[in-house]
Amino acid sequence: MKTLAIYSNKGGVGKTAAAVNLSYIAAANGMKTLICDLDPQSSATYYFRVKPRIKAGVQGFLKGGKKVYKSVKGTDYENLDLLPADFSHRKLDVSFNRFKRSNNRLKKIIAPFKSEYDLIIFDCPASISTLAENILNTVDCTLVPLIPTPLSVRTHQQLLSFCNKRKFDLGRIYLFFSMVDGRKKVHHDLMTDIAGNFQGVLPVIIPYLSLIEKMGIYREPVAAFAPKSPATRAYGDLWHKLEEVLFFYS
Amino acid sequence: MRNNLKFNLSGGHSERELIRALAQQYTIKKQSDGTERHAFYDTFDWRLFNKSLVLFTSGNRLYLRKLYKNSLIENIDIKVVPVLAKDFPKGRLKDRLLPIINMRALIELVVLSSRLTLYQVLNQDEKTVARLFFEKIHLSNAGNPKEIAAYLWLKPVKGYLKYSQNLTKRLEESGLTLERNADLLSIAMQVTGQKPGSYSAKLNIPLNPEMPANEATKTILRFLLQIIKTNEVAIEHDRDTEFLHDFRIAIRRTRSALGQIKNVFPQETTERFKRDFAFIGKLSNDLRDQDVYLLNEAAYKSMLPLVLRDDIEPLFDYLKKERSKSFRKVVTSLKTDRYRRIIRDWESFLNVPYHAAATEQNAGLPIIDLASIIIYKQYRRALKSGNRILENTEDEMLHRLRITCKKLRYLIEFFSGLYPRKKIERLIRQLKKLQDNLGDFNDLCVQEEYLLFMAQNLPLTSRQSKNTLVAMGSLIEKLNTKKQIIRKNFPKTFNNFSSPQNQQFFIELFVLKLKKALS
Repeated sequence: MKTLAIYSNKGGVGKTAAAVNLSYIAAANGMKTLICDLDPQSSATYYFRVKPRIKAGVQGFLKGGKKVYKSVKGTDYENLDLLPADFSHRKLDVSFNRFKRSNNRLKKIIAPFKSEYDLIIFDCPASISTLAENILNTVDCTLVPLIPTPLSVRTHQQLLSFCNKRKFDLGRIYLFFSMVDGRKKVHHDLMTDIAGNFQGVLPVIIPYLSLIEKMGIYREPVAAFAPKSPATRAYGDLWHKLEEVLFFYS
Repeated sequence: MRNNLKFNLSGGHSERELIRALAQQYTIKKQSDGTERHAFYDTFDWRLFNKSLVLFTSGNRLYLRKLYKNSLIENIDIKVVPVLAKDFPKGRLKDRLLPIINMRALIELVVLSSRLTLYQVLNQDEKTVARLFFEKIHLSNAGNPKEIAAYLWLKPVKGYLKYSQNLTKRLEESGLTLERNADLLSIAMQVTGQKPGSYSAKLNIPLNPEMPANEATKTILRFLLQIIKTNEVAIEHDRDTEFLHDFRIAIRRTRSALGQIKNVFPQETTERFKRDFAFIGKLSNDLRDQDVYLLNEAAYKSMLPLVLRDDIEPLFDYLKKERSKSFRKVVTSLKTDRYRRIIRDWESFLNVPYHAAATEQNAGLPIIDLASIIIYKQYRRALKSGNRILENTEDEMLHRLRITCKKLRYLIEFFSGLYPRKKIERLIRQLKKLQDNLGDFNDLCVQEEYLLFMAQNLPLTSRQSKNTLVAMGSLIEKLNTKKQIIRKNFPKTFNNFSSPQNQQFFIELFVLKLKKALS
């Protein structure tokens, strides 16, 4: 089993859209996939038309075991299951801190899924916190969507120096460009810059497209309701690059 | 509850009415319909069926499942199903199939077409909470496609089991029953009149202990003739090498029965058919030899050091050419008047019923007595000849012991129906260990000789020739090392076989019974 986090310490960068579409594409390629919605806003859960509720709430989640296992819902797509978010996930951070060795808690929680899934994708909330540490500690690979703007670059540098301090393996952090507006010169210039200065930049661009926003109306992954669209193609490219990272290099 | 549920629809329930009834309570959306082609595969001797496995394609995927079970063991994408297991793509399916099917060809048993209509059951968020499949299955390729089964599948969605439980209740209320004990393959086999498991090259001959020996021997020989005739027609299609192999074994067993079950038929008849079957056996000697070498191609290559692996290629190329020549010869020879006449005469001889007035010495003896005598005698012979080898180590004597043991094995198998099954199985297990040792030794001797012979006769261009000869030399050396190891194991294997317990076992099974019968 491989684990992948879609993470960013900045909000509104297209994390959930990427998580939902990547999980859909992975499942369609025959992988038993679980998408874990860790964001109390529960957008991924909403996209899959599932009620945002976990048995026994945040306490049940942290305890792990049966309660979490039984909260998993089948999505409308073959091979793809969802562990819904719960509104109480907003307290995840505080609650993690109550455990000894709190940074390893998430690892324990997902242990029972190991035999059942080929891939687990975490859709993470935007923050640098105990939850973020847990995630970075748990996953094989962290994927950061980056809008090519100066502010985003700054936030990403914050993340990298945080990871450096905590001695996380920077080699397992990957970047891709998200919500790129092809008409903006600043986007183009920054992309060249970033590709030169940061490690782990995947050569994939997810453009800024209203079709991706329409996911909220259709409540389906783009790849499901518009399988031939440029958006789907872009997510497909992203998946192929990730596949190489997850399964061939490691 | 997580598993798919299958309801039988053959009781005349219509899809439209069922959906209409359910729609009063649930939101139901038709998702798709389509037709799928399913083809089922097994070997001629039902190797998968005998292991309770079902191999079938559906669209472009190949699936393996247990008989009477719906859950899949393995599945892969595939366009054309390979005939031989060795040609399957690398993976778990191949690893699973290869030891079972071995060198046998997969044959398409039956093709079905199934019409599938898929409905989704939705909740108020329009989330799918269960799926319903209507499946109507027809025999494909038949001129008048006949519906052989109709099912309604209920596929639960994880996390929404309540919906499926309620749907199950509803469906059962409307008179549907869960189908648990029918396998589509069995249904299709019944409709097409095929009998899974009907062919096996193993001997399983029902004999009555009191039968006159003449009649019992004819029963055995008729059983063998059936195997000969079944395989003879298939040899020509050349789907795999085992049709010829089974054919040859049946011929050899026939010869062995004629030679060993003495004085049950008129002398001149026995002599004539012994000659005839020796003739038939010889027809395919070359072909079988070449088959064996080609079957072992991969094993031979793996014995060679990497640098020599390609150099052995000319040998196999030559063998392949020779094999197709031999194959054509065999096919023609099985159509000759002489062959046909032998089989025809043999069949009419076997069909003559037993006459109480038969004058041959053993013809009227109860078969159990005759069988016990000749099996025990043959066992003594094997013991004597083995003991002599322990003192003296000539290859030739090992060869002779191998033949003696083979005759013993055939006898035990002919008459296995007369004795307690468990005991016979134990005997055969013991004997098989010794036979394997002797057989491996003999195979290696023959291969060594053959390679030497080929080294003299292989037509080679000068550039290849030296390396090819080196490769063959290396192979001979490897074979020789193996031979020495096997030779070393002989005393231990034989001592197990000739242990006092085992001797006692033979005596109890064959001699004591006989004494009881005679007294």
